[in-house]
Amino acid sequence: MRIEKRLTIIFFGVACIVAAPAQQANTRLADSLRVESLPEVVVTGTGTEHLLRNVPVQTEIISRKVLDSYGGRTIEEILGGLTASFSFSEGDMGSQLQLGGLGNSYVLILIDGKRIHGDVGGENDLGLIDPQNIDHIEIVKGAQSALYGSDAMAGVVNIITKRGAKKGVQKEEEGIQAENSTRYGSFNDNRQHNALALSNGPLTSYTNFQLQHTDGWQNTSNEFTEARVVTDSKNKTVNAYTLWQVAEKIVYTPREGMELYADGNWYTKSIYRPQNGHYPSCDVYTYDLMYRNASASGGGKWTFGEQNEVLTLDIDWNRHAYYYTYTATTLTDGYDPLGNFTNYYPYFAGQIDLQSDQQRLMAHLKGVFHLPYEHRLSAGAEYRYDYLNAPMRTATGTADDWTAALYVQDEWNSLSWLNITAGLRLNENGAFGFRATPKLSTMVSLGDVRLRAGWSQGFKTPTTKELHYRYLHTMGSSTFFNLGNTALRPQSSNYVSLGAEYRGERLTASVTGYHNRLDHMIALVNVPLSEIPHDITSAYAGDGSTAIVARKYMNMEDARTLGVDVNLSYSFPEGWALGGNYSWLDTRAHQYNTHHSRLEEVVIDGTAHHKWNAYATWSRRLSTYYKIGANLSTRGSSRRYYQNNGDGAPFQLWRLNTTHDFGKASDALPFTYRVDVGVDNIFDYVDRTMHPYHLGTNSPGRTVYVAFAVKFKKGKSVKSNSMSNLKTYENED
Amino acid sequence: MKIKSFLVAVAVLAATMISLSSCQQDEDVNNNYVKYQSAVDAQVKAQKKHDKVILLVAFGSTWNNAFLAFDSTKAAYEKAFPDCDVYVSYSSAICINRAAAGENTDDKGNIVKRNYYAPNFWLHAFATAKYADITVQSLQVIPGEEYSRVINYIKDFANNHLGDLDDEYLSKLDGHLWLGTPLLNNTDDVANVARILNDAYKSQASKGVVAFMGHGNPDSYDTYKANIRYTQLELALQVYSKNYFVGTVDMPDNYKQDVLARMHEAGITGGTMNLYPLMSICGDHGHNDMAGEGEEYWDASDEESEDNSWFEFFSHKGYQPTSNLFGLLEVDAIRQVWINHTKNPVELEDYYHSMYPEE
Repeated sequence: MRIEKRLTIIFFGVACIVAAPAQQANTRLADSLRVESLPEVVVTGTGTEHLLRNVPVQTEIISRKVLDSYGGRTIEEILGGLTASFSFSEGDMGSQLQLGGLGNSYVLILIDGKRIHGDVGGENDLGLIDPQNIDHIEIVKGAQSALYGSDAMAGVVNIITKRGAKKGVQKEEEGIQAENSTRYGSFNDNRQHNALALSNGPLTSYTNFQLQHTDGWQNTSNEFTEARVVTDSKNKTVNAYTLWQVAEKIVYTPREGMELYADGNWYTKSIYRPQNGHYPSCDVYTYDLMYRNASASGGGKWTFGEQNEVLTLDIDWNRHAYYYTYTATTLTDGYDPLGNFTNYYPYFAGQIDLQSDQQRLMAHLKGVFHLPYEHRLSAGAEYRYDYLNAPMRTATGTADDWTAALYVQDEWNSLSWLNITAGLRLNENGAFGFRATPKLSTMVSLGDVRLRAGWSQGFKTPTTKELHYRYLHTMGSSTFFNLGNTALRPQSSNYVSLGAEYRGERLTASVTGYHNRLDHMIALVNVPLSEIPHDITSAYAGDGSTAIVARKYMNMEDARTLGVDVNLSYSFPEGWALGGNYSWLDTRAHQYNTHHSRLEEVVIDGTAHHKWNAYATWSRRLSTYYKIGANLSTRGSSRRYYQNNGDGAPFQLWRLNTTHDFGKASDALPFTYRVDVGVDNIFDYVDRTMHPYHLGTNSPGRTVYVAFAVKFKKGKSVKSNSMSNLKTYENED
Repeated sequence: MKIKSFLVAVAVLAATMISLSSCQQDEDVNNNYVKYQSAVDAQVKAQKKHDKVILLVAFGSTWNNAFLAFDSTKAAYEKAFPDCDVYVSYSSAICINRAAAGENTDDKGNIVKRNYYAPNFWLHAFATAKYADITVQSLQVIPGEEYSRVINYIKDFANNHLGDLDDEYLSKLDGHLWLGTPLLNNTDDVANVARILNDAYKSQASKGVVAFMGHGNPDSYDTYKANIRYTQLELALQVYSKNYFVGTVDMPDNYKQDVLARMHEAGITGGTMNLYPLMSICGDHGHNDMAGEGEEYWDASDEESEDNSWFEFFSHKGYQPTSNLFGLLEVDAIRQVWINHTKNPVELEDYYHSMYPEE
């Protein structure tokens, strides 16, 4: 038996043995442990603050403590390693996320409650998330929240930053906090995070800088191309990239209960592809990829009345521009000197060429009011305008779209054991008209047990990309011509979930089952070459050379996902904690085969039936100035299914992170230090499946890293709950 | 107060960041076209040895073995036309880009970078180098969609489409601008090619099926109705032997399953089968669509799928296929047909004077 398997059995065996008797001791220990950790507060499901144990909408949380002990390098590592619901596959432009079997464009990613801006296809750029700046992460599955749009058919991931968690300096205090974290690991992996918080009277400033770089890696140089296996392909498993981001937020608190803010960020990401390839069919590239994002926003929050009624207004502008950066002379679509369209406009190495520039303007007004008979009403209005400028990728060069929404949500808590949250979101889209999407969550409290049931409908209009984009996409040895489709219909979803959760002082256990049915699901489907309009490309032609596949966005008849998530965690009094998550998933989709004019049942690409992860953490303060911690974790997946290019092999990876905290902040000693040292993929498992076949995991094998963080804090930091609508922890309990 | 000043500075910085972000790309790319053309002009000027020039125009390929086939074709042309300079042009931008950038290899394994410029750039350079006689030879198999593009390049050139060529030179080119037609340009070519193919494969045809896989155009791209050449070629070959068949990848009603149906009609339900690409070079279609072997090339639930290769399809239908992996340009006698077309080109009408009647 291999050592990993032995370790797995021991790991889960110990977890079961210790969990059983310990549970009986819970009540005895309860009182003495109450103060050990702060109760976790979540906001994502309802938009109002709740203790995690009492949140009516099933919410999964990755806490600050878990994040700290895990020492994740990227958001992909964090979500993939600390929950069993996410999986990632490597794309040409970075990793593609899946939640509960549904892809990136069905997942709504929020940073501090605000929707991040991604690709025109609705895909999120995960690089916008600074992994060192995360306080905790909340995950709500299905289109369960009335507040964040009905297009989150897979779910909502809300990244709560350290700033958003109000852990920085607070009003009416003069103070300064600064933090630097530097991480270095195998493959020249570099992570740099710098934050500065300054406070003076009513003004507070938060500045954040992040830099991420990796040289990328190559799990195999074997590639099937030109009808044979070549052994010296230059294609990497993960391409090199560099990104950096600067963000600034200024908060002005003119008086108690009023907060105004302005913020902005600037972001750029470059993805470098291999050079000097030998095989023109697969590893010769003449351009790299680059993204530039920017945002500016402003708004305010007012808290008033005896019951802390809340009114918020946010206005956001975002820009996401996508460029080619040429690395060699390249002919591409453009206009000749007379302004006639040509397939042969030349660009030279070093020049950049805009592929798409998309801008989004959003305005969101929201109020939370307490009504008689224990009703809490949230109501809001949201307007969103999307503009796409893609000179060579749309028929007219530009496209736009708008959506307006009104929503109401009522949380009714008249009985101590029953909470009913009902929401209705009314959506009006410029092209696709009106649609109402109801949501309903019910929670029954029985001691430390919570039973939850949820039902929600989702509605997602085709994106500007799905409607209008048309472009040649080359990926390794494959060449596609992707076509938008103005005849698309909106997608809709129907999500039902049922869960039971036990949350004791030491033991937390939950089981949740869900069923998500999507109608008119949009996917890129192979179509005959004749669908490509005349005269926009000559790439479909050819005389025995490269074959091209024409693909068009089409409404598939339907798709459904059925899953069960199990979460378990236990903390021991001596600084030990164990936890694990397991996810079972089954997907079915009907796809239209245009060649034979028939529907075929398929599995959604990239999904696996079983995914799991588990961790054991230990920490101990050895002296006033030194605290040590260790985290041993594992994650794995069964076979991942794909329609083309083979299935991804099952895998299980192990990881060890150690933390070393030095110092204890005080005015006399304002600096604290932290060192993380770890090894990822301890048993050096590498999936060396040759290109272009699918990998189960793109891990490069065993990697080591070290991270150093220094924090400076001067001035008193006060945790203020003045802006919270959660009055006290006790009165909710 | 220091902190306040700092906050103001930070706010200004943030505002600057945001305004910067709205700037579009500022590099001057407007001169790229001229700059690129100048490089092609300079290369042709430097390489010019004769007064006559032949431009071989193919779609192109991203397969290294296809590059080698074009190398040997160029060499054969230089031998056949010792008084002409010979250049090879691709009409696919992707193929041009990758051939120029990649560390691709020649037939001895040495790294070479090849410039297969698009036809319009070559023609412009020929004018700049003042070639007295230009022949553009289509390396297409049928006179279809791609061939019509070749004609358009020549028309644009002769019309001084961009207005940047020497008018006096262009007017002198009258009577010296030629077009070499595709392999199966007319029915005489069909008969000729059928005869050559039969000469080469008659011993195989006497023992079993010999099937050719052409490309063909989808319905909406069937320019000049050129797909008919495949049917005509099959008829011409069947005069020699009923064991010859010609199918395609993209021509409606002439896919592999249609070839099978015709074989069944002829009473051929088994036996050996030799498969040949009826394409100028053997690239993706030849290696994968025709010769692909293994479960990846066979989906039993969808036998006629375009992803199922001819090899697997006919194997599962009871035949014993053998794949022959070379293109028509690699068959000397067929390449000679193209060379003969170049020797007997079509004289193009005088586009320049028809556009500028006063000159």
